Amino acid sequence: MDLASILYLGVTFGLFAIFAWIVIRTYSRKNRDKNEIAKYRMLDDD
Amino acid sequence: MEKPQYNTDIVKSFVHSSVLWGLVTVLVGLVVSVQLTNPELNFPPYFTYGRLRPLHTNAGFFGWVVGFIFATFYYIVQRLCKVRLWSDKLATFQLWFFNATIVATAITLLLGYTTSKEYHEMEWPIDLMIIILWVTFAVNIVMTIIKRKEEQMYISLWYMLAAIVGVAILFLVNSAAVPVSLFKSYSAFAGTNDANVQWWFGHNAVAMLLTAPPLAMFYYFLPKSTGVPIYSHKISIISFWSMIFMYLWTGAHHLLWTPVPDWIQTLAMAFSVMLIAPSWGSVINGYMSMKGQWHQMRENYLVKFLILGITFYGLQTLQGPMQAIRSFSAFIHYTDWVPAHIHMGTMGWVSMIGFASIYYLVPRIYGKELYSIPLANVHFWLALTGQLVWSISLWIAGVLQAGMWTAMNPDGSLTYTFMETMVEMYPYWWARTAGGALFFFGILVFIYNLFKTVRNGEKTAPLTAIAQGRA
Repeated sequence: MDLASILYLGVTFGLFAIFAWIVIRTYSRKNRDKNEIAKYRMLDDD
Repeated sequence: MEKPQYNTDIVKSFVHSSVLWGLVTVLVGLVVSVQLTNPELNFPPYFTYGRLRPLHTNAGFFGWVVGFIFATFYYIVQRLCKVRLWSDKLATFQLWFFNATIVATAITLLLGYTTSKEYHEMEWPIDLMIIILWVTFAVNIVMTIIKRKEEQMYISLWYMLAAIVGVAILFLVNSAAVPVSLFKSYSAFAGTNDANVQWWFGHNAVAMLLTAPPLAMFYYFLPKSTGVPIYSHKISIISFWSMIFMYLWTGAHHLLWTPVPDWIQTLAMAFSVMLIAPSWGSVINGYMSMKGQWHQMRENYLVKFLILGITFYGLQTLQGPMQAIRSFSAFIHYTDWVPAHIHMGTMGWVSMIGFASIYYLVPRIYGKELYSIPLANVHFWLALTGQLVWSISLWIAGVLQAGMWTAMNPDGSLTYTFMETMVEMYPYWWARTAGGALFFFGILVFIYNLFKTVRNGEKTAPLTAIAQGRA
């Protein structure tokens, strides 16, 4: 495995880690309900 | 909180421009479809299939679709942020510059100036105009979001930002070229690299112009039309981010079986199949949002357009990954199957959402009831039937074509000449023209209904009833 391949793999794992963090954060106990507020507020934006 | 005074004039102007370019797009599309069956209707040098076809695609993408993206984004961003647009002057400049750019594109394409890159045929001076246009738009949207009075960003704003950033990156990279004269340039990339960059742009233009913005509109106008919120904001966020992470790797599925490195093709194929998950995340979210509201499919013309639109999106995002698999691609690539696929996306998904958005906007920004809901329903059925006739006829044609191209005699020679396969296409091409004609009549009904709404529509009904398509 050359350096370019290792870097490529690193970027892939890095992106996956960021995505996993977004999923965990979105569904965390702290944010679970808070994340649904926007869908109610947008109904009353006129 | 004091209600902000939103800028609706700019929304009106972009709706007018978009509808005008939409009419041009479909009319030119109809002309080029007839030119295929009747080659004597090619009038060289300006009105040949080779020059009119890019006019059809560019007017569609950059006139019709980008036009209603500008209109709807300016409407949505002000309301979701609860502030007036950051700069009215910048938006007005953008309106005129937008139309000037489309006119310049149309003229230069008819004169034969082209980079020969599909969906990016414009030569470098027009590329510069597009960059100025997009930066103007991006600054206005981003600044409006920055000064918003809502803490949380609704999912439509995320899709809007993705479209703005995505298009900017794709367009800048694929525009890299060395100008040799005022209307001629050569790509900065060579050989397979050029092809790879071109299809990285080409396929992701589909993502950032034909997927993210209509999803922003769908997530905004569906709850506004039904009066109930979307099923899950969390699912919409996860779908959004997974789409963003996956989409940009898929472009090379346009280059299967080409000299592009094998691993790039495999990567594109794998990511294309994975992309089903975020796409269907949005489709399921849309369907679940209709829980207890399915009766509105009968009663509410806006919901018909929106739900049929998301259904075509679902079908499109199953068919697309299927085409991205090597074995299937070997069979249908370069056949008439492919235009049938993209037209299910443009006529079925993107335009249905565009029609719904404009039907929602016009009564609100003019403060008038829609002139005729029956006419809106007639438009819906013309658009749906037209799209189905268009795509189904060419799917059959594509399979027939592929079968004839690959048929072999026992001695290994080809069974059919290319000309024999062409002759077999004629009935399907006529069916395609008929489908396009139905869609075109639908657009005429749409324009008539909007025109009568603006001119003669009654100022009645509370805004919520107008918004929900039941007034």
